[in-house]
Amino acid sequence: MTRALLEVEGVEAGYDDVRVLHACSLEVRAGEFVALVGPNGAGKSTLLKTITGLLPVSAGAIRLDGERIDGLPPYAIAARGVALIPEGRRLFAPLTVRENLELGAFLPRAHGQEEETLRLIFRLFPVLQEKALAPAGVLSGGEQQMLALARGLMARPRLLCLDDPFLGLARLVTNRFCQAIREITAEGMTILAAGQHVRRLLRLAHRAYLLEEGHVVLSGPGTGLLQDERLRRSLIELIPGGVDQPTG
Amino acid sequence: MSLNTLAQALVSGALLGCFYTLMALSFSMILGVTRGLNLAHGDLIILGGYLGYWLWSGSGLHPLFLVPVAAAALLPLALVWHWLFHRLPEPRELSSLVLTFGLSLLLQNIMLALWRGEYRLIASESLTGSLGLGGLRLNQGRLIVAAAALLVVGGLFLGLTRTRWGRAVRATSLDRDAAALLGINVDAATRTTFLLAFCLCGATGVLFATLHYLYPAGGIELTLLAIVLTIWAGVGRLRSVLAAGILLGVIEALTLAWSGPRWRELVVALMLLGSLLARSGGLARGWSH
Ligand SMILES: Nc1ncnc2c1ncn2[C@@H]1O[C@H](COP(=O)(O)OP(=O)(O)OP(=O)(O)O)[C@@H](O)[C@H]1O
Ligand SMILES: [Mg+2]
Repeated sequence: MTRALLEVEGVEAGYDDVRVLHACSLEVRAGEFVALVGPNGAGKSTLLKTITGLLPVSAGAIRLDGERIDGLPPYAIAARGVALIPEGRRLFAPLTVRENLELGAFLPRAHGQEEETLRLIFRLFPVLQEKALAPAGVLSGGEQQMLALARGLMARPRLLCLDDPFLGLARLVTNRFCQAIREITAEGMTILAAGQHVRRLLRLAHRAYLLEEGHVVLSGPGTGLLQDERLRRSLIELIPGGVDQPTG
Repeated sequence: MSLNTLAQALVSGALLGCFYTLMALSFSMILGVTRGLNLAHGDLIILGGYLGYWLWSGSGLHPLFLVPVAAAALLPLALVWHWLFHRLPEPRELSSLVLTFGLSLLLQNIMLALWRGEYRLIASESLTGSLGLGGLRLNQGRLIVAAAALLVVGGLFLGLTRTRWGRAVRATSLDRDAAALLGINVDAATRTTFLLAFCLCGATGVLFATLHYLYPAGGIELTLLAIVLTIWAGVGRLRSVLAAGILLGVIEALTLAWSGPRWRELVVALMLLGSLLARSGGLARGWSH
């Protein structure tokens, strides 16, 4: 068995006075694509923010390559090769597309590979090259999502966490991105992705976890989970239109 | 108004504008990284001016040499401010007002105790000569000070746009969490910003004291002007700050040349009002992600 790159062990976390995650455990092995699905408010974003150090851990442990990273500030976790493309994109709106990408490669670990990563990005999303000098704030919603993904790739992380990566992207672009993700995982980037596009995520994923009200209630191979009765019930009840929604 | 007065008004307006730019830049840098308004900003500049005056009257050195000295002298205060801002409760936009209003009064009283209420000016002879340029007579001191101010503004622009540190500061002031996720040490960026902004206050203060009389309560007006310029230009928009600063300086100098000091405040107030009605940008936009 490949050893786990990321181990989350009995983690409790949340916001000031609200405990959102209850004894959450999961692991992501090197080279894997792991999906994190669950209804709205289940705690998916909270878990990703906790892993990347934006939220403190009140109990449990998070390990990267066997070393504790919980309690480290976000920049130190990023320096160890963990990147998060956050919910809501969080681009630097007044800065140009290019400046946003350059900031993505802020860490020393990304230096020397910028040109190569940029080539990959411009092949995936040609529109970013066309609009390289435009302020990020004037891009369309979908273009901004592409830029957010691209900025995350620029860091050349070992573990890339994605929060709702396909939000607002056309099917064609999503396909292209999924293709790229397959290439990237084959190349050795490990991915943990949370999101609403359950069917698509589960098809891409090697393994998946179902999160409900802050508990991990189910885990297994992606396509297997897609057949699972409990997952169908959980998501069909809570997401209008069922597992296929939103389409993607 | 003769051509000569007009030209002189333009030059001194542009000079004043350089100051305003420096002042607004340091103010908005702190606002950017902390979301806190530093109401003691003008008082720190006046403090820098008094330090410059005190050193100049004691040593007789050329005022330009005292610029870096006063800049360095404010560094310890930068750490104090950073420490206090770090502990501000949310909403920081409001709690910072309470904190820095107190600090402003404290500084004013300290300056009153140390230098009493008398007006002071760095009236160095090395700055009083005048320079003929075509038919114009320009004050040599003002030109030197303007050159120094422009040099600092230029250096700051380069630093903020070209260096790794500058990019970290800009990213931190636009979106703290997003910057942290990219590996930027936002606390270190904030501390450096305080140190640099306070250096700028010290430097600006000495330059200011060569042109304007200092008095302990003089900082209030400077703080208000820094706020006005930040509203006009928006946080982190470097070129807009420079443009707004110089525009304000020139308009102020023209009003002064035209109608004397009576109308100055009124014109500035009208400009502020007009610009706020004309656009809903600036401060508000700088805060939102
Ligand atoms: N900043 C916050 N302060 C307090 N509570 C929050 C905050 N953000 C989220 N929560 C709460 O934490 C819980 C989990 O939210 P989270 O954003 O992690 O859900 P999610 O699984 O990502 O949902 P979605 O699919 O809608 O993105 C929710 O009950 C939410 O109300
Ligand atoms: Mg979410």
